[in-house]
Amino acid sequence: MRIISFPGHGETDPEDVSSAELEAALDGDGIGPVAESWRELRTDVRALAPPMDPEFERRLAERIAERSAARRPRTVSPVVSPEAPPSRGSRRRDRWAGWLHRPARLGAAAAVAFALVAAVAIVAGTHQRGSSSVERPASSQSLGTSQGAVATAGSRNGAEAKAPPVAAGPAEPVTAEPPGVESPAPGRVQQLAATITLAASPSEVQATADRVARLTVGDGGFVQNSHVQVQTAGTSEANLTLRLPSAKLGAALNSLGQLAPVRAESQSLQDITNSYDAARQRLADADAERQALLRALSVASTQGQIDSLREQLSQARNAIAQAHSALQAVSQRASTAEVEVNIAGDGAGASEGLTLHRAVHDAGRVLVVTLSVLLIAAAILVPLALLFIALAGVRSAWRRHRRERALDMP
Amino acid sequence: MSAPVPSADDDRSPAIQRSSRGSLDEETFNALFHACAADVHGYAISLLGDRSAAEDVTALAFERLYRSRSRLDHGRGTSRAWLFAIARNAALDELRRRRRQPQSELREDLAGDHGSTEPLEQVERRATVRDALAALPMREREVVLLKFHGQLTNSELARALGIGESNAGTRLHRALTRLREECMRLDRREVA
Repeated sequence: MRIISFPGHGETDPEDVSSAELEAALDGDGIGPVAESWRELRTDVRALAPPMDPEFERRLAERIAERSAARRPRTVSPVVSPEAPPSRGSRRRDRWAGWLHRPARLGAAAAVAFALVAAVAIVAGTHQRGSSSVERPASSQSLGTSQGAVATAGSRNGAEAKAPPVAAGPAEPVTAEPPGVESPAPGRVQQLAATITLAASPSEVQATADRVARLTVGDGGFVQNSHVQVQTAGTSEANLTLRLPSAKLGAALNSLGQLAPVRAESQSLQDITNSYDAARQRLADADAERQALLRALSVASTQGQIDSLREQLSQARNAIAQAHSALQAVSQRASTAEVEVNIAGDGAGASEGLTLHRAVHDAGRVLVVTLSVLLIAAAILVPLALLFIALAGVRSAWRRHRRERALDMP
Repeated sequence: MSAPVPSADDDRSPAIQRSSRGSLDEETFNALFHACAADVHGYAISLLGDRSAAEDVTALAFERLYRSRSRLDHGRGTSRAWLFAIARNAALDELRRRRRQPQSELREDLAGDHGSTEPLEQVERRATVRDALAALPMREREVVLLKFHGQLTNSELARALGIGESNAGTRLHRALTRLREECMRLDRREVA
């Protein structure tokens, strides 16, 4: 026989057990039998739980005290007395060890590092393409193959061996290789060309063009044509077409690059071996025909035959002269390289010669590159961070769901 | 003799009250431990029905609280509420890990230390409360235990449960109503 006096006993209105009433009762603010019954219920529920084992409480208190003394969340190293304060070095090592043991932080650091490296790589590539483009020709082997001129050195030399030397006539004998040809592929005849754009201040365009001309002559070449436009206000520019010995093309481009900052540079290569071989063959054929006519003339007996043969010899000499000229033209193409020099006097290159302006310019570029790196890194990191946040949210929701399910287990 | 049950005012020591406004420093953490360890243990053992598991959960809760003390967000509740939220998660993890059905009834030897000096009426009343609590569904019993052992406000209870405050109040109201009805039913049966 016991009466358990719960608040609202006998009443059906759920408002009897209001949250405010309960809160007031448990806080000790409520008075009266209802509040007292709530406090009594709380006391009864709490009293149902057995007290902590004193031994467990003591051990747990010791662990807490050790942690508090060490001020470290991780377990205390067994070789170090828990009472002794850790040294600065050990604290640093522990901090790093703890840091590294946290996969989330390590992953974030790796993502940041990856993003920065990727951004630097992207910016570096863009910077190289945008500011100063340098194009080099493909290898002569691949170029020759792509053009279908698969005349090997041996076969060409064979044709050369069968071609008799031009012993008579006005044409000069043609050497096997055109003079001065810088042929990266043995046995091939190639024509080189280059284009270079230099940046100069408007006032320096004329002087730079003059230096280009002098350098060209010094390298054994000549200026094929030139156009220099200097304006007191506005953009000045100069365009020069140079002919340089092919063997000196590389050195000449280097020398041109010393005159002013190079804004762009490209080189091209064309295989003209077929044209060269065809010209040689025509010359050999014409010479063979002339030799045959001379032999026929030596055995001619009638005046009519002699006159006819002399007429044919005259035509043969003309053919030899034409073939020789054609061969020389091809040789000339191979032995000289055409270089187009563009001097842009738009002011962009003016600062490159002045230290202060150049420093300001470089500083601006550094800032732009830095901002670009940060922007690209952010472009990589922001989606990664959003993905990470979404995954973390899903993981947290899933863990909460699994925990809550533990309460629904039968 | 039942263990003395501290009141909510006893648990809100000055250090812990300071923790509601400042960081959870070593002093506050120690004060929180001494004030709340028994409550956390009581909540865990009442929920899990196993002393060993309750001790594991209690130790784990304070371990996690220590590790996360720098992330303690006082804007989202007191350090006591934070501690009981951690303890609840640890207890539910323990429940799920062991795949063990929680004790449908508190075992007699875990149902408090009822000394012979207690009045018979009090002993019988607590036995009724114990049986009524054991008869509650797990979800409702957990709310009652969290409320009474944790001495949490409805707002803190909502934080610990991960639900809205009104929802927590409704759930608590429903659980207490069920507990009251169960006590009345048991009482009538005893009288009959």
